Amino acid sequence: MIKKYQKRTTRVSAIRDAIIDLRRTLREYWLLFSNNMLGITGLLMLGIFVAIAITAPQLAPYDEWEMGVCKPFEPPSAVHLFGCDELGRDLFTLFLYGTRVSLIVGIVAALISTMIGGAIGIVAGYTGGKIDSLLMRITDTFLSIPAIVLMIILAALLGPSFVNIIIVIAILTWPPIARIVRSQVLSVKEHPYIEAARAVGAGSLRIMTRHILPNVMPILFANMILQISNAIIAEAALSFLGLGDPHTTSWGMILHYAHVSGAIAAGYWWYVIPPGLGILFLVLSFVLIGYALDEIVNPRLRRA
Amino acid sequence: MSTLGDYIVRRGLQTLVAFFILITIGFFLFRVMPGDPTAILLLNPRIPPETRLLLRERLGLDEPLHLQYFIFIKNFFMGEFGYSFHYGRPVTEIILSRKMFNTITLVGSSVVLAIAIALLMALVAARRRGSRSDAGLLVFSLATYSMPVFWLGMLLLLAFSVNLGLFPLGGTISATKVHESTLDYITDYLWHMALPLTALVLIQIGYNFLIMRNTLIDISMEDYVTVAHAKGLPEKIVMRKYVLRNAMLPFVTIVALQLAGIFTGAVLTETIFSWDGLGLLLYEAVTTRDYPLLQGLFMLIASAFLIANYIADILYAILDPRVRYR
Repeated sequence: MIKKYQKRTTRVSAIRDAIIDLRRTLREYWLLFSNNMLGITGLLMLGIFVAIAITAPQLAPYDEWEMGVCKPFEPPSAVHLFGCDELGRDLFTLFLYGTRVSLIVGIVAALISTMIGGAIGIVAGYTGGKIDSLLMRITDTFLSIPAIVLMIILAALLGPSFVNIIIVIAILTWPPIARIVRSQVLSVKEHPYIEAARAVGAGSLRIMTRHILPNVMPILFANMILQISNAIIAEAALSFLGLGDPHTTSWGMILHYAHVSGAIAAGYWWYVIPPGLGILFLVLSFVLIGYALDEIVNPRLRRA
Repeated sequence: MSTLGDYIVRRGLQTLVAFFILITIGFFLFRVMPGDPTAILLLNPRIPPETRLLLRERLGLDEPLHLQYFIFIKNFFMGEFGYSFHYGRPVTEIILSRKMFNTITLVGSSVVLAIAIALLMALVAARRRGSRSDAGLLVFSLATYSMPVFWLGMLLLLAFSVNLGLFPLGGTISATKVHESTLDYITDYLWHMALPLTALVLIQIGYNFLIMRNTLIDISMEDYVTVAHAKGLPEKIVMRKYVLRNAMLPFVTIVALQLAGIFTGAVLTETIFSWDGLGLLLYEAVTTRDYPLLQGLFMLIASAFLIANYIADILYAILDPRVRYR
């Protein structure tokens, strides 16, 4: 029952209240997060990578595609910090540009796959019945097939391009997210306020977007961060197998060139080590942030 | 009341549904997506156009789409995947061969080794939680967990094959060597397997260790473990009879869940070390655009994993009767 003397909610006051609440929640989460030393380390590492990605053209001593700036396979020196590839390109320059591709592909692919997984998980968990069984059978089928096999084939069929790599990763990595979200939805939908919303006549779509989604948002977000690290590894793997976009440089691509140019058999370690370390630390930063967030939003994991 | 028999039937039906989903995915990938599987034949001037027409007919490419779907299903259950463009032999024959044996040997032994090593590490870490060795093991596993397996393989090659010359650069067996005895052959095989095996094991250890450590710590905090300690039972007995026995089930689950992921690692490892298995075959099929071979590989590998998952679920239900009531 709405009492007559109750202040009417206006759009402005609703937004103001929302922002105040959001700030309070964020501050709480931030306090928990900043207590988590590993999470902070991850955030700092990520900050460095983002800075490199943004300023790559300024930092890079050479042009990305300029060949013959040094001798083929020249070892590292003061002029060429990471040495040179078989075409006489500066590997340090390539490394800087590679940061961009790994970050963008990782974030965009993870965003899309989280949205797909979230939508499927919410619909399956909330609707139940036949739709749930069908969606879960599809999810399980995707989960039991080795992802790389599908990724390789789809990437080969679609052809190598920057956008295609993102699509391939996004549409093949959502199943774990769908599973996690669905189980969360199953418990959320038992809450009395969902029943109340239904009683006042809210439709399924409205309940799913307005009441269920906000409740699974924190878990969704934490998993999206972890998903980014998976997407970065997937991009590196596909590029390494020669399925990446030849018009962009990614760390996986550098390792692909190292593999096919015979740099390993010749012992040119400088060709191999930096891009791998780049992948390792970028992935690690997202893993650290992701688990710190998971610890915050997942009360079961919180240390007493 | 639900019995084991009911569970086996129910999961069996679910697996059957999964097979139809798999066939539909395969159909979309290889029939509906743009690109004619016979188009690659045009690139070879020595192949007469009639061959292409014959192939189109055999694959049912001139039929309407819904009929093609039924032909696709029939071919799948008959094990009919056509001839490889590259090898010119039946796809099934190429896959169900020595290559499959090589992959199973590599993956199988890596799984067993990774479980054993991770369990030992988890026992040390869980007993001395928060100690320096615990922290060291955690850093080690987080690092290997974040590492791309093909890069790890490259590092191993650089260190042990190129610089130290201890192991071969790749392959499954020394091609030029004449093997005097079976033992000689096996030694040569294992010598080639050492580095790819190390890479695959290292990549699994991180994940295994993190899960096992958590499980062990969770279980050590259960009341019955406290009681066992209070009764004055020696640490070894408590560990073996109370903690480890109850930790076995979660371990089984993680291994079953990881199976598909390990194969992903195997594809990349085989590519780096030229290990003559299904992963390398997949890589070659992609680079040569060998359409029938790709399709056969996808359908057979995916089927194998669907069946493996079904078997794992049933084994799990036998071990833990609670599962059946779900």
